[in-house]
Amino acid sequence: MEKVAIKGKNFLGFELEINIDKIDEIKKELELVLASSSHFLQNTLLTLKLNETNKILSNDILKFLKDKNIYINAVVVADKKGCNADIPVIETKNMHLLAEKQDKQIATYRGNVRNGQTIRADGDLVITGNVNSNSYIYATGNIFVLGKLNGIPHAGYGGNNDAIIFAFALNPPQIRIGDFITRSPEEGVSLRNIKGVLPEVAYINDNNIMINTYEEWLRLKD
Amino acid sequence: MSGKVLTITSGKGGVGKSTSSANIALGLALSGKKVVTIDLDIGLRNLDMILGLENRIVYDVVNIVEKVCKLNQALIKDKRTDNMFLIAAAQTRDKSAVSAQQITNLTNDLKKDFDYIILDSPAGIESGFKNAMTPADEVIIITTPEISAVRDADRVIGILEANTKKDVSLIINRINPRLVKKGDMMSKDDVLQVLSIPLIGVVPEDDNIVSYTNIGEPSILHKESDSGLAYKNIVKRILGEDISFMEITEEKKGFLQSIINFFKE
Repeated sequence: MEKVAIKGKNFLGFELEINIDKIDEIKKELELVLASSSHFLQNTLLTLKLNETNKILSNDILKFLKDKNIYINAVVVADKKGCNADIPVIETKNMHLLAEKQDKQIATYRGNVRNGQTIRADGDLVITGNVNSNSYIYATGNIFVLGKLNGIPHAGYGGNNDAIIFAFALNPPQIRIGDFITRSPEEGVSLRNIKGVLPEVAYINDNNIMINTYEEWLRLKD
Repeated sequence: MSGKVLTITSGKGGVGKSTSSANIALGLALSGKKVVTIDLDIGLRNLDMILGLENRIVYDVVNIVEKVCKLNQALIKDKRTDNMFLIAAAQTRDKSAVSAQQITNLTNDLKKDFDYIILDSPAGIESGFKNAMTPADEVIIITTPEISAVRDADRVIGILEANTKKDVSLIINRINPRLVKKGDMMSKDDVLQVLSIPLIGVVPEDDNIVSYTNIGEPSILHKESDSGLAYKNIVKRILGEDISFMEITEEKKGFLQSIINFFKE
């Protein structure tokens, strides 16, 4: 486990997870993280995840981050007891409930995504057209391509490993879901392979990206 | 008179932009339109050679924008028809010698005297491409049925769709029916599925193009040429006629030829 990690697991944005217990060591590790990504952290929604032993330090950590211009929206802990932060404290078990209450955002893109273009979306992304080679599509939620997918998709961008990618022909050189990445088989892609129009779904199962036909995926899900 | 600016571009190099520009320009001129073609591939010109007008160049497009000469002095009249003129590219300069605004001013001047102004764009998506795109009323994208060329065309279409609202149409060049049938080459429909823009012509592979280029006589001047016929149809479509697409099939072979081909393969 990393001492300090940036994750993107919850609906409140990115999560800064601290797994060490001594305030001096925490500050030292945070300095290191900030050295590489302070600009990113200053411009995004952040929650702070603490464990059972370091949660009493919450206000010290928050003050340290505030001095660096990084503002935290909420603290996430397993048990509220003993955490006296000045900002909202959320228990881990309630995160899912909150996430479900949140209205799901769906972005729609009409037309083809062409070579060299990049589409980004918060929440689910629906594309009504083909996604051509050398284009990139990112969504924090699921990706649905109602056409052929030949560009590079990243579903669950920011760490949502439950996201799926759906396309009528799934043919990208790489598939990225949450923290995972996989590439297409090395065998030469002949012109005939491009022509398939079977709806397919990519998802994560046992820390591997799997691809199945839509029907098979529905069957496995139940 | 208010002319139309037709830009011919591709993204990838070597797919037939200049050859198509030469054929379309001559075709429009032979149909009675007044046409001027501008080679914007500054530094790597060859439209003059394809048209066989190489030895007539005195002033070029850079000379016009730098006001070294008058516009009329740089118009090179074609040797076959009085309706077509060429403005050649400078060979001793590069793409940065002109700006998009200067080319737009030039085409605006030419619009008064010509029906069609054809801009032969350089390959790539850098400044030369922008110079050719900015003044365009209509854009014709050329691609060959190869994945690399189709992807580059896709990139160009994406740039055009994102930045402008110009009419874009497609010419698929050098299609080889034998390879399509074998499944080794993308068919017309495969290309259209990826690019999904209106098709304005399909030009078959033609071995004679090389020699036509060498002697400076575009294939549209040759009655027996298949590619020439395809370009004639493209010209008619540009002029608004509704022409059905040529069925490009394998050439008919005699018995002996079939046997020779059998051993070749």
